[in-house]
Amino acid sequence: MELKVKGLYKSFGEKEVLKDVSLNAVSGSALGLLGRNGAGKTTTIRIIMDVFYPDKGEILIDGRPVDRKRIRIGYMPEERGLYPKKIISDQLIYLSMLRGMNRVDAKSACDKWLDRMGMSEYKNKKLETLSKGNQQKIQLAATLICDPEIVILDEPFSGLDPVNAMLLKEVIMEMIENGAVVLFSSHQMNYVEEFCSNISILNSGRIVVDGRINDIKRSYPRNSIEISTREPQKLSAHIIKAMGEKIVSSGQLEHDESRLLIKLKDESSKGELLSLIAGSGCDIDGFRVCEPSLNDIFVQYTEAGI
Amino acid sequence: MKHIIQVLGFEYKGILKSKAFIITTVLFLVLIVGMAFLPGLILSMQSSGGEDRPDGEKPVIAIVDKAYGEAETIKKEFGETFKGYRVELTADEEEKLSGKVNEQEYSFAVIINEPLAVTYITKNNSLMSSELTNVTETVKRIYQTTSFEKLGVPAEVSTKIINSQPELKTVTTGTDQTRNFLTAYILMMMIYMAVVLYGQLVAQSVVAEKNTRTMEMLITCARPSHLMFGKVLGSGLAGLTQLAVIVCTAVVSMRFVSLDSLPQELREMMTFPVDTALYALLFFILGYFIYSFLLGAFASFASRSEDLNTLISPVMLVIVAVFLIVIIAMNSGTVDSPLMIVCSYVPFSAPVAMFARVALSDVSFIEIIISVVLQIAAIYLLGMLASAIYRIGVLMYGKVPKPSEVVKLLSEQHKTNKALKASRKAQ
Repeated sequence: MELKVKGLYKSFGEKEVLKDVSLNAVSGSALGLLGRNGAGKTTTIRIIMDVFYPDKGEILIDGRPVDRKRIRIGYMPEERGLYPKKIISDQLIYLSMLRGMNRVDAKSACDKWLDRMGMSEYKNKKLETLSKGNQQKIQLAATLICDPEIVILDEPFSGLDPVNAMLLKEVIMEMIENGAVVLFSSHQMNYVEEFCSNISILNSGRIVVDGRINDIKRSYPRNSIEISTREPQKLSAHIIKAMGEKIVSSGQLEHDESRLLIKLKDESSKGELLSLIAGSGCDIDGFRVCEPSLNDIFVQYTEAGI
Repeated sequence: MKHIIQVLGFEYKGILKSKAFIITTVLFLVLIVGMAFLPGLILSMQSSGGEDRPDGEKPVIAIVDKAYGEAETIKKEFGETFKGYRVELTADEEEKLSGKVNEQEYSFAVIINEPLAVTYITKNNSLMSSELTNVTETVKRIYQTTSFEKLGVPAEVSTKIINSQPELKTVTTGTDQTRNFLTAYILMMMIYMAVVLYGQLVAQSVVAEKNTRTMEMLITCARPSHLMFGKVLGSGLAGLTQLAVIVCTAVVSMRFVSLDSLPQELREMMTFPVDTALYALLFFILGYFIYSFLLGAFASFASRSEDLNTLISPVMLVIVAVFLIVIIAMNSGTVDSPLMIVCSYVPFSAPVAMFARVALSDVSFIEIIISVVLQIAAIYLLGMLASAIYRIGVLMYGKVPKPSEVVKLLSEQHKTNKALKASRKAQ
């Protein structure tokens, strides 16, 4: 299954919030929608969920306009939405029945998910009596209870402690393995990097970068080399002496003196450097090309205003 | 349809389980039982004030006769009127009597100065007391019988003549307003209160869902029109349940109270024609739908429950205006005035106005049918409109939009929906 968002435009009054936003997510992988506050992530998600109408553009599933009646979509809104004054199991069953389950299935799914979230003891409690993190887990249960083919999570990690974040991660990984299309927005880059193969970065309502994370990283010049060694100073001197005219800089990392960072003028001289250090007689522990972190990429693309 | 039933069930159970609902129901029940037993209780307390007590313990009435000189007649007449009392004839002066009345030695005292001039001495003169009327009536009767006796007519004959009443038989060709008035009044009040009360239930539930952002989950699970219809039906059903409980309790508790203890006039006014009650039920249901859709639509623009009252005040104003028009028409007996006839067809006022006309006047069946059909049509249109407004309103936070903006948004939404349908058909 493929979820395609094509050329979305949306304005609220005078303000143009989305400008030609297109996304692509496929079964068995997760797409991370990144962007700073107010970039248009939630608006995009709300349009996908039919909460807002786009001014222009369309949402396609396998090339056809999405029929929300046939496809099970699990949606977790950014501003969590459940009844605070109602019994937890009551509302979970109600929501899954609205999404087409019969009562018996809804009941067993409710038990199953509450158990999975470690929330079984709160089954007959009112939602408002739970802590924020636990309410979040209930919200996640409400999202996944109908066994969705498409899972859309808006900032799922906000408010979770590390243990609960792990739990959430496991659950999402499981959904991906089971072949669901997962789309989620976040600005916690470490989580995104962990299980998104694809990302789209939104800035001021426009997609500024999108694609596979690895491809994006590869698109950066691969001219920074990190070498781990026991004799960094000796090696550095050796390298500068031999290929000084091809090097921008060479020096030890501040926080780890056993590592040497070398910036080449041209990444094609990587091979030459490798053979040079191989013949240097120094004890080498590692040699790798430094890729920019997702964080670096994010900051680079979104720094320029909102 | 499935969604409507699911929403209905959830709302219905939610309301029935809510503390506020349970408490109001219990309060109503206590009130109903109280009201059913109270009149009988008061009457029995009044009439058996001292009747069963031995002579010595009965409250005493002091009479000073300066005009008739017929102690026996006076004692007999007063004794018949004031059954629970002991009548005592004295010759005390007014001041002394006043003192004794004040000390509650006497319940009250009467000085007959002249055949038709009486001083009535009482401690507390209450507005509702029938004592004074009874005293006047008794003195009048004593005057009449003694006067007749002077003319040679024996007391038995004169009493008969004085108390004679023509036998009256009323033939009503239309609806008897005197008989139905109280019932109609009570039922109309009930329609009005129920519409306002249960309509607000819908409004509150809309705002609560919006406020807690539950809306965002719901709107992605079900169509807004299904949510709206389910909600209105659920609250309405909860309302009917409450009404049913109240009416059943009222009927049952009436069984335990013997109506015979009530005065004849009151009993006649309280006759309960079943057809009028059924009409009340019908018009309550129609009125409820009309106003709950309106209230729900208006409420969808409120972001917080504090904004709710301001937003729904225009609707409330209409309800109150309609109610006033109908009450005035009922009181002045002009339920068939041109204004009322118009009101009984306009869907916003028809539920109350048409009911008043059906209960108190003679309305042809075809008129009722037309009014009901118009109301049903209005309910359908309002339901669709309310769902569309709701769809826009529930996801709009912050400032309440101007009516013109709402119209613009509605037309945009309509276009989008049309385009969506067209693209679906094209596939």
